[in-house]
Amino acid sequence: MRRVSVIVFLCFFLLCFSYSASAETFTPLEKQGFLTGFNCLACHSAMKGKIRTEKGNLVDVNVDGERYSQSIHGGFDCIACHKQFGSNPHEPAKITNVPQGIASLASKISHKAKVDPVALAACSECHGDIYKSWQNSIHGSNVINKKQTDGASCIDCHGSPHYITSKKTGTSTINKKNVVKTCGKCHEKEELAKKYNFGTHILERYYESFHGKKYILGHQNAPVCTDCHSYHDVKQWEDPMSPVAWNNRTETCGKCHKGATKKFVTAITHKPIGKDNPIPYYFAKGLTVLLVSVFLFIVGHVILEAFAEIRDRVFRKKKEEHHE
Amino acid sequence: MSNEVRKEYQRFNLIERIQHVILFTTFLLLAFTGLALKYPEVEHYSKWWIGIWGGPETAGIIHRIAGITMLLDFTWHVLYLGYSLTTGRMKVRKDTTIIPLPKDVFDLIKNMLYFFGLSKEKPQFGRYSYIHKFDYWAVFWGMGIIGLSGLFLAFPVHASYLFPVWTVNWIWEVISVMHSDEALLAIVFILFWHFYNEHLKWDKFPMSMTWITGRISIEQMKHEHPLEYKLEFEDKKGEDK
Repeated sequence: MRRVSVIVFLCFFLLCFSYSASAETFTPLEKQGFLTGFNCLACHSAMKGKIRTEKGNLVDVNVDGERYSQSIHGGFDCIACHKQFGSNPHEPAKITNVPQGIASLASKISHKAKVDPVALAACSECHGDIYKSWQNSIHGSNVINKKQTDGASCIDCHGSPHYITSKKTGTSTINKKNVVKTCGKCHEKEELAKKYNFGTHILERYYESFHGKKYILGHQNAPVCTDCHSYHDVKQWEDPMSPVAWNNRTETCGKCHKGATKKFVTAITHKPIGKDNPIPYYFAKGLTVLLVSVFLFIVGHVILEAFAEIRDRVFRKKKEEHHE
Repeated sequence: MSNEVRKEYQRFNLIERIQHVILFTTFLLLAFTGLALKYPEVEHYSKWWIGIWGGPETAGIIHRIAGITMLLDFTWHVLYLGYSLTTGRMKVRKDTTIIPLPKDVFDLIKNMLYFFGLSKEKPQFGRYSYIHKFDYWAVFWGMGIIGLSGLFLAFPVHASYLFPVWTVNWIWEVISVMHSDEALLAIVFILFWHFYNEHLKWDKFPMSMTWITGRISIEQMKHEHPLEYKLEFEDKKGEDK
């Protein structure tokens, strides 16, 4: 009996110890804020619908926990980017939680960020160099200096930060398969084309070009928008810093077309073929006329001849025999 | 010619037949590998079709090799013509030449009248009818237009050295349109004109064997090329019969 009670006691003791040990390892991690993601997602992955923010934007409150965990940032804690929130969800958001640099950047882009300017600015914490080149780009300066809401920021091209995957995956918005469409989200919009005075049918013209045609067919070497225009530091093409500015084009085109000269680099303009570019316009029309008329002639001739032959064989058979 | 009754006439020699085989092989390869690039926007089909030809990269290589082979074949043909003419193996004669003559226009009109039943008389053709001449010169023209623009497109940087400065803003549009529209014309042309006249016609279906043997029967020659027949056999008519 005594032995048994000792064993029971020991087991109880071990149980207690192991419980307290596991409790001890969990608590400090939670204090550091490492696992609060599970807490946030407990509600946010289940919540459905949209709420209206103070600025009047409708914001989706749902975060797909599974997709988030598969994304490239899936191991991050929510408050790694949503810095104004503490690890305790009952505490109100405080701007004092946010490091100064990010807070000031957040205030510069607050007109742009629909949901959380702090989180949008937080990208700069890890991607500092990229953020800087974006700030100097036409997209970035449009947001920061001109205070426009339609300049592209990180998430306009990369998609929701919760679901960013490596650009090598097929679902990535900047995967070669998808990047042209991603640029097209804005660059195909007529109202933006008018507002910023960029060409309207740029994508259409790209798809008509040999580059674009090869791209549609999935050619590995076919260049996409970003190959010539660059991406984070994209500039207006007349900006001397732009890779497609006249002075830089020989180098840019030369990446693929070795020996490209000034004469060569005029080949691509993305301008619509129209009356402002009359020679190819009327040349194409002329060729179409030639094509259609030759087509009509040969098809007509073939049909007439076939009918005449059938007529001769079927209805004039006797006559021919007589004749011969 | 000998006294015995000839049943067949040698219409094309071996060199001409080889040139023709190279021409249509490369033509088919070019048409097949280039088609998807002309209509990539029909996305599902164009991708499937280019896949048959090994994907866009391989298809591009096949297209370039076939194109250059075709141009070499064309060069060979022109040199061969020049050689044959200067050595007198080939003579330019009214009833055997491929060169278009006013008679061809009249033949076309006569034929049209016959088709519509307005005339009972078929035109009398020589070695090459206007149908053959059209077939030949369409290929000749296409070779120049599509071949040249194709070379420019295959070697764009080198081509750009050749273009004068005042053309550089529109020349590439023109070349692309030229290559792709003329290619379509060539395909349609072969599909209707050549296929009907050499494959689908009543007495030729499924195809005329002349492309392999180079020969046509004397009967067929009398029927289709009466003027050439007269020219070749007129003086021996009595002996032949």
